[in-house]
Amino acid sequence: MDFLEKYELSACLQCGKCTGGCPVALRAPLNIRSLMREVLLGGEPESVLEHPELWDCTTCATCTLRCPRGLNPSEFIVGLRAELIEGGRVPKTIIDALEGTYKHGNPWGRARQKRIEWKEGLEVKIIPDEGEAEWLYFIGCAPSYDPRLQGVPRTLCRMLDAAGVSFGILGTKESCCGNEIRRMGEEGLFEELMEENTSHFRSSGATNIVTTSPHCFNVFGNEYDLNGFQVYHYTQLLSGLIKEGKVDLPHTVQKKVVYHDPCFLGKQNGVFDPPREVLRAIPGIELIEFERSRERSLCCEGGGGRMWVEGTGEGERNSEIRVRDAHAMGADVIATACPFCLLTLEDGAKTTGLEEQVFIKDILELVAEAMGFDHE
Amino acid sequence: MDVIVCIKRVPEVAEVDLQVDPTGKGIKEGDLVFSLNDWDNYAVEEAVRIKEKHGGTVTAITVGPEESEDVLRRALALGADEAVRVTDQKMHGSDGYAIAKILAAVIKDMPYDVILTGVQADDDGYGQVGATLAELLGIPHATLVTAMEIGEKRAKVHRELEGGMEEALECALPALFTIQSGINEPRYVSIMGIRKVAKKEIKVLDLTTAGLSPEDVGTVGSMSLIERIFPPPVGEGAEMLTGSPDAVATTVTDIFVKGGVI
Amino acid sequence: MVLMEHRQGELREISLEMLAKGQELAEKQQAELTAVLLGTGVDSLAADIKRLCHRTLVLEDERLTHFNSEPYQDVLAALIEERKPSLVLIGHTAFGMDLAPALATAGGIPLATDCYEIEVKDDAIVPYRQMYGGKMCTEVHLREAPCTMITVRSGSFPAEGLREINGAIEAVPFAFEKDYSYKKFIQYLEAVVGEVDITQADIIVSVGRGIGGPEHLPVAEELADLLGGVVACSRPVADKQWLPKERQVGTSGKTVKPKFYVALGISGAFQHLAGMQNATTIIAINKDAKAPIFGVADYGIVDDLFKAVPAIVEKLRERKGT
Repeated sequence: MDFLEKYELSACLQCGKCTGGCPVALRAPLNIRSLMREVLLGGEPESVLEHPELWDCTTCATCTLRCPRGLNPSEFIVGLRAELIEGGRVPKTIIDALEGTYKHGNPWGRARQKRIEWKEGLEVKIIPDEGEAEWLYFIGCAPSYDPRLQGVPRTLCRMLDAAGVSFGILGTKESCCGNEIRRMGEEGLFEELMEENTSHFRSSGATNIVTTSPHCFNVFGNEYDLNGFQVYHYTQLLSGLIKEGKVDLPHTVQKKVVYHDPCFLGKQNGVFDPPREVLRAIPGIELIEFERSRERSLCCEGGGGRMWVEGTGEGERNSEIRVRDAHAMGADVIATACPFCLLTLEDGAKTTGLEEQVFIKDILELVAEAMGFDHE
Repeated sequence: MDVIVCIKRVPEVAEVDLQVDPTGKGIKEGDLVFSLNDWDNYAVEEAVRIKEKHGGTVTAITVGPEESEDVLRRALALGADEAVRVTDQKMHGSDGYAIAKILAAVIKDMPYDVILTGVQADDDGYGQVGATLAELLGIPHATLVTAMEIGEKRAKVHRELEGGMEEALECALPALFTIQSGINEPRYVSIMGIRKVAKKEIKVLDLTTAGLSPEDVGTVGSMSLIERIFPPPVGEGAEMLTGSPDAVATTVTDIFVKGGVI
Repeated sequence: MVLMEHRQGELREISLEMLAKGQELAEKQQAELTAVLLGTGVDSLAADIKRLCHRTLVLEDERLTHFNSEPYQDVLAALIEERKPSLVLIGHTAFGMDLAPALATAGGIPLATDCYEIEVKDDAIVPYRQMYGGKMCTEVHLREAPCTMITVRSGSFPAEGLREINGAIEAVPFAFEKDYSYKKFIQYLEAVVGEVDITQADIIVSVGRGIGGPEHLPVAEELADLLGGVVACSRPVADKQWLPKERQVGTSGKTVKPKFYVALGISGAFQHLAGMQNATTIIAINKDAKAPIFGVADYGIVDDLFKAVPAIVEKLRERKGT
């Protein structure tokens, strides 16, 4: 299909709401409105491919959500990236992430064999090999391999056990969900990942899927064809279990916590309340809100392939802004429910020198404290 | 400019725990992921760039069983025009010398101006095939090439020496060059790109059609064999160095001296 | 027979290492140790070398001034045929990698490359070499032949305990017949200062936030200079622009695979490890005993880098004699 047709470029009003809401536009030369116009006038995507800032886009989809014409500028950027991918003209770090995913099933290029090391010492069922379960827990690449994050799936598993939930995991058969892969423009690789994961889902015997990451949650719910499955983010499942009284949170966590809405959970999928419900259920937590919260949450700049490519912009990163804002509000902790938000915000805490004042935690890490788990 | 690139399919071992197989002469390959040898990737990219600049064709050749067609498809997707696979049961166990013989037999009747190989392979790191092949074909060679300028009859190349230094030399064509990593930035090969070349024909040759006899290849035709493979004596995690800064400094200095740095 | 390697008037360390091992092997096999020295203006080198072996064969010719595999190959092939050594040692260096396979092929000589150990078992030479990036070692069986060739990995055999043998220097004649213009040396190119590609460095000294600020970088730079390496960094350092972005190691920076990676004050965040975990030898210095970097390091030092590094620099200076 013609590029102009595919993204309905001639319907663009050039109102600029897209660029106006773009979280990277202040620092980087990324100007979607202008790019759409360039392609519209040029007729071919070729003319805009020499823009390195194309890789700055975090695919937060703020532009798409704001467009008064219902167009999809975020997908337009993905389409341009797909052209660059087919031409092979891609930053080296992106190549490494894509090739790592192709060969090893994860963009970190880590060995597939090591994908389940996070669960050492825990009794977690691999399905269908080791039994049956109603829920399939999809861990995701970053929480599987990154020592900083491995405590999160560990806590979720222990908590699900304590709540009597029947669940299992795919083990080393789990491959990258492909959310970032597609958004980096590698449509072919995304299709392969989707096919493989879907086939494993179908043979697992489970009917519900729960994910650690909002990215996996987003792509399974919106882009995979998973008829017969219900897809949840862990905050939704956890909030439900708490309401049913199945989760015991005996210990107090005396902290002032501000919740950061991840783009792929909040503004893109409308999941704002379950994470807050979980936080409010933890005794001792004083929950406060950023001014830019919920739909207006400030993108941390971790999505859309940004974990593997430095932005072209100069100046303060959004993660640094977020941490400074939290500090100014007197928050002890920024809580989030996304592994990429966590890593990116922690980087921001380090570079602002505030890492001893503002701690970044996944909601599950606070739950672990409230449940008295050893958190490592 | 007709360019031939010799490539190899190797296992990725970066993070994997390798295990010795029952024969004691090889490793267990079951769980390993295979891909194009890193140096060969640079070589194919270089070959395609030569074609883009000077015109001509790029032919990728590999010696190996059917699985090796993966790396040939990658070369085709990167821009190679033709792909050749040489295979035979009897070729199993060939060392670098025997592989070079096989390649020479196939290449000697092909037209070429430049032959490229990688400096060495990720698995055995022998670095032998390139120069051996050049010798068998009777053409000049240069190894560890970090830059290349191809002219009508001659090529100017840079070779990597130690300590950041390089040397510049000139070779008459046809010649063979072994390509060092970092010479270029290989383009990305997308899944769709590989799908597009999935139907392209790969020419397959065996012992007879390659014009070789059984004594030339396999363990029979090799001059070096692995007698035994074993893991190096290894410690658990980091060896923590303790003691006064002075004592630790001495240990660290020893490590560097032993490593040939000082 | 050991091929001496020299460049711009200086004998390279590998030559002495090979002589040391050569002495040991020659003794075990009750054979003579011969050194081969080719080049021009090599008298002073010859004088040093002759002390350490039974015979030093010297050939001076214009064609041999700078290393060129073609004339070197012809000369060595002739010497091997004439003198019939049972073993030929060449360094596994830029020099040796260009020469050995072609020379071995021309003479039908079995070759083992990049060997870190050579043993004598039942009178046969048994080389050892690594595979899979150092994850496995192999014992190599070379086909039985009157002569075998081994290229030796730098740093495998210490150049110490060399005996004074004091053999003779012998000038060998050679009639060059070929015109070597088909492979011509043009010039040496020094590394361009200011253009640092850390992915090509063999030795990297990398700094993390623990370095504290750009004013402390000289601590790392000093160490890097002594080791002949380059300075790299983790992301926070590049973010703060204490070092240019091209020095950054990690998933959104560069991936490096040097022989030595010295991590100073780097905690070992996942994204950083992904960029350097495959370095051959990793030495980490960090105040925090629990820093994740120690999980991938080969050697770990729990200490303040500002105490540990100066001590190391001092010892290195001593050892280097500077």
